[in-house]
Amino acid sequence: MKGRRADKAATTVFWVLGIIVVAILGFIIIEIFARGLLTALNPKFIFGKPEAIKSGGGVFPMIVSTLYLVGLSLIISLPISIGAAIYLSEYAKKGKLTGFIRFCLDTLATLPSIVFGLFGLALFVVYFRWSYCLMAGAFTLAILNLPILLRGTEQAMNLVPDTYREASMSLGATKWTTIRQVVVPSAMPGIITATILPIGRIVGESAAIIYTTGLFIRNIPLNPFDTAAPLAGYVWYSQTEGVQADYLRVVNGSAALLLIMVLVIYFLARYLGRKYQEKRLLGG
Amino acid sequence: MSQGSGMSASTMRAIVVGDRERWIKLVMFFCASVSFLGVLMIFLFIFRESLPAISKVGIRQLFLSTDWRPKSGHYGMLAFTFGTLFTTAVAMIIAAPLGIGAAIFIDQVAPEKVGRSVRRVIELLAGIPSVVIGWFALILLVPFIRNLTGSSGFGMGAASLVLVVMSLPTITTLSAESLKAVPTELKEASAAMGATRWQSIYKIIMPSAREGLMIAVILGMGRAIGETMAVQMVIGNASQATASLVQPGSTLPTRIVQDMGEASGVFRSALFAQALMLLLISVFLVVFIRLISRKRKGE
Repeated sequence: MKGRRADKAATTVFWVLGIIVVAILGFIIIEIFARGLLTALNPKFIFGKPEAIKSGGGVFPMIVSTLYLVGLSLIISLPISIGAAIYLSEYAKKGKLTGFIRFCLDTLATLPSIVFGLFGLALFVVYFRWSYCLMAGAFTLAILNLPILLRGTEQAMNLVPDTYREASMSLGATKWTTIRQVVVPSAMPGIITATILPIGRIVGESAAIIYTTGLFIRNIPLNPFDTAAPLAGYVWYSQTEGVQADYLRVVNGSAALLLIMVLVIYFLARYLGRKYQEKRLLGG
Repeated sequence: MSQGSGMSASTMRAIVVGDRERWIKLVMFFCASVSFLGVLMIFLFIFRESLPAISKVGIRQLFLSTDWRPKSGHYGMLAFTFGTLFTTAVAMIIAAPLGIGAAIFIDQVAPEKVGRSVRRVIELLAGIPSVVIGWFALILLVPFIRNLTGSSGFGMGAASLVLVVMSLPTITTLSAESLKAVPTELKEASAAMGATRWQSIYKIIMPSAREGLMIAVILGMGRAIGETMAVQMVIGNASQATASLVQPGSTLPTRIVQDMGEASGVFRSALFAQALMLLLISVFLVVFIRLISRKRKGE
């Protein structure tokens, strides 16, 4: 009888814990949108030029910076991740070497993003004399994202049935031809899905980019070596400096805009993931 | 293979193809070794930039002193190392039971549909940028603590609560995975013996997932130790070492962000030394996790 009562109590406690977690998220989303959604959806804010001191500034160059950074960083990290995933899943034998590579990946995955930021500052901005620019941020984030991107890519390749490889090899194709024409194309939808998580991280990352890409700009960055100011870093900058007359509006609006971007990426990921799974179940 | 059309002898072609295969393997190997190069370069450059501080201030004054007065040449970081470990510890006291509890809820207690939705909510929480969570904490949590305690609201307590939110997704997701990995026969056998759900969870499932749960909490700690922006917005950024939840303090990452803008020379180098300290703590956590998972495999 005592066990029954303890069980009931425990069940109640677990329900409460589950509800707390959901409530935290709900609370954050509601509060951020309540304060900033109107500003975030205002075209004058989205497409406007930022102001350094005056009020009424927009965030268009910051949005462009963020998207530019996502593109550049993926161009750098995706080929490396695919290559590394090919090596780990198709060529390497399990042993000391792969164990060591995994240890390095685990280390990269655990390092705080501020450490990446200072590293990017020391290597790209100062040592390479690139100054604050998109390229420096893109390389820094490419290394930061390598572990999750590689894991996703590798999983996608491991899901390609071995019978595909055997069929290709038995037709006389070399290993590389098999990889290039059979394994990678069949894994491609999975690889695309695997880029979503890193994209979300790039959009939300601030500690790794404020010392590599820059904090404030007024013009749209065009050249990869231009100084830029991604939105997440700009939220932090406007909040800590507080120099614009209406910085509260800028911070509220930018935070809401950032949240919208993250939500879009999240639901896109779920949509793509589901579509990919359906396709796999159908054997397509 | 059509590229070999210029060559008539098939042996020649085999050699060329074999050669190409070897080159390709080398390129792929290079891609895989980027992870190692990355770690090496990060360590080298952070170390290189901390050298001036290490040689001018001395390891002891730098790492083991709480005296932080950059203007008069005192660069002790111990107060911030303490702040990092203290806020992380407080956060873990709340986040570990909350996260593991939520994982048990998802895996064992909730109906399947509810469990799945809660899991999605947690994935979404993991994706919310830290500046957004920091801003949220600044406009709601800080005034709340201010009204409750009569302090400024900024401080170690607010920072710890932010870290709870930041580490919760990691702990919950990984715990749920390791609970799921407990063999079904074990769960069924326990239920067949007449155990209630709580008895099964407490006596059978949690002990057999023990290593996985430990790793989940350690990785959650890793997130908490490195969290920068969200904490910087609410911790108050004082340079004192304090164990009071309503007093302002600093962690290593928040001190770096706070001072990097104006720092130069030895001052700047001392901040890099703080990043080196963070790096060492992270590597320690990774090695620790390796040891735990090796033990799990050994059993």
